[in-house]
Amino acid sequence: MEAEARSKKGSARAVGVCSVAFLVVMMVFTIYPILYTVFGSLKTNAELTSGGSFFPKEWQFQNYYQAFIQADFIKYTWNSVILAVSTMVLAVVTCALAGFILARRDFVGKKILLALYTSMMFISLGSVTLYPIYQLLQKLGLHKNIAGLIIALTGGQAVNVLLVMGFVKGVPKELDEAAIIDGCSIYGVFGRIILPIIKPILAVVALFVFRNTWNDYVTTLIMTISNKGMQTLTVAVVQLKYSVNAAAEWHIMLAGASIAIIPILIVYLLCNKQFIAGLTAGAVKG
Amino acid sequence: MKQQVSTEHKRVVLKRNLESYVFMLPNLVLFVVCSIYPIIWTLKYVFFQYGGIGTGNPKWVGLENLARVFRDEVYWKSVINTFIYGFGKVILIIPLAFFLALILVKQTKFNSFAQSMVFLPTIMSSAVMGLVFYLLFNAYNGEINQYLLNAGIISRPINWLGKEHAMKTLVITAIWGGVGNYMVYFIAGIQQVSKDALESAKIDGAGRLQTLWYITIPMMGPILKIILMLSITSAFNDITNVMVLTEGGPNNATMVMALYGYKYFFPVSASESVIPQYGYGAAVSVVSAVIAGAVTVIYLRLSRKLDDVY
Repeated sequence: MEAEARSKKGSARAVGVCSVAFLVVMMVFTIYPILYTVFGSLKTNAELTSGGSFFPKEWQFQNYYQAFIQADFIKYTWNSVILAVSTMVLAVVTCALAGFILARRDFVGKKILLALYTSMMFISLGSVTLYPIYQLLQKLGLHKNIAGLIIALTGGQAVNVLLVMGFVKGVPKELDEAAIIDGCSIYGVFGRIILPIIKPILAVVALFVFRNTWNDYVTTLIMTISNKGMQTLTVAVVQLKYSVNAAAEWHIMLAGASIAIIPILIVYLLCNKQFIAGLTAGAVKG
Repeated sequence: MKQQVSTEHKRVVLKRNLESYVFMLPNLVLFVVCSIYPIIWTLKYVFFQYGGIGTGNPKWVGLENLARVFRDEVYWKSVINTFIYGFGKVILIIPLAFFLALILVKQTKFNSFAQSMVFLPTIMSSAVMGLVFYLLFNAYNGEINQYLLNAGIISRPINWLGKEHAMKTLVITAIWGGVGNYMVYFIAGIQQVSKDALESAKIDGAGRLQTLWYITIPMMGPILKIILMLSITSAFNDITNVMVLTEGGPNNATMVMALYGYKYFFPVSASESVIPQYGYGAAVSVVSAVIAGAVTVIYLRLSRKLDDVY
């Protein structure tokens, strides 16, 4: 009996040691590339390519100066901020309106719309759909315009509309009815009753749309073909890979990469709970 | 009198419908422009030969594009690559994420710190990090090889992005970018396992591993089904990572089907120029979407069992 208890204790300890070792390995695995980016951005190109130490020998802050001034990253940063904020606002407003009405009213065509929105989760033609969007924007004269880029980046938002709809459905209908009896119009119900209640889910939508736009590569790359001045940090950084002296500019690439990831890191530090909670709100509902 | 009521009723119905569309319209415009229209466009051009504005009118070719897809060996190679990539990613990421979730499920200060560290890569741009990995995995100057050489694990630099290893490298970076996501899903799943079941297992004298194997894992069936579904569908859509890190190369060794269709529309890298073949690219994309859809349906069929919770 005693021996059994001891062996049980022993095996529990073994499991514990293995768990800790596994956890440490995984944490190093996930963090290392990010630390490499940040520390690498402060090294010289020679130090980077010849395999120096993990930390920079001398901190080369002029890499950032070079990235911001010579590689024009001030402009790209500005573009990234403008686009991320605009798509975020547009997505939140449109999803809130559509999600609300889909949850609360029956109207002509609603069934078809719902079927179409839902089917978007299963139909994926991938990035080739950017071409017809681009062509359409060109016909409308928006392909060189930031408005066109915002439209393309925001996209249909089908998943988020359904997410908001699900959330509104969880709000008791009696609240709406009471407001209507008090003389509220549907606009009043939305603005005064529902909007304040659904703020948490709108925050989730905002956070994820902001992140997606900030990080987006393919859509922004295609939609800025005819106006490279609208490129974002993400696109501009990756384009450094194809510059003529790429082999001599690792330090600039990493400085650029750091400039692109540090803002999102800050957002993450401020709201990592919301990121993690938002993920499960979106995915694991059934 | 009756007539009056019914016109009044009609007016109310009309007003309610109009109001509803006032709410729908902003999103609906985006949805039509960015989701519906491109699908219809793509389906249409499957039947045309078209090189874009300035190359003459689209030419009707019937099923020729589709027939060409089925003859295109490089395309089928890209389909196989997609399956290898997806399989490699799912088979590794699921157990890793599950063990992380098991270890970190208890809400302590340290665990929530560890969780945010493991989750961190999921908020990063896969394009920017693709570039960073491109430097890290560089055969001659990359830090990974330097560490491995210095530690004496390898005697010659590994060509991580060469034909032989490029796919493995891609899978590693995909795991890096996604493991935190699935860990969070699993944590949510484990938290849903009923406390009563765990309690009674404990009373019956079940050890930790026994509880895990006989209670926790079986009870997570429904959530595991969703997690697997998400990981499979997302594997079909990963394109940014491949584009930046390997560009589908070398020699199509990492060409995946999503990128193969893209290639007929846009250049994959800035150093490349393409003569667009929109019709053929559309056909490739539609066939790829059908393959992805078929896999999803088959998976849903096979995974019905996971819904049977004891």
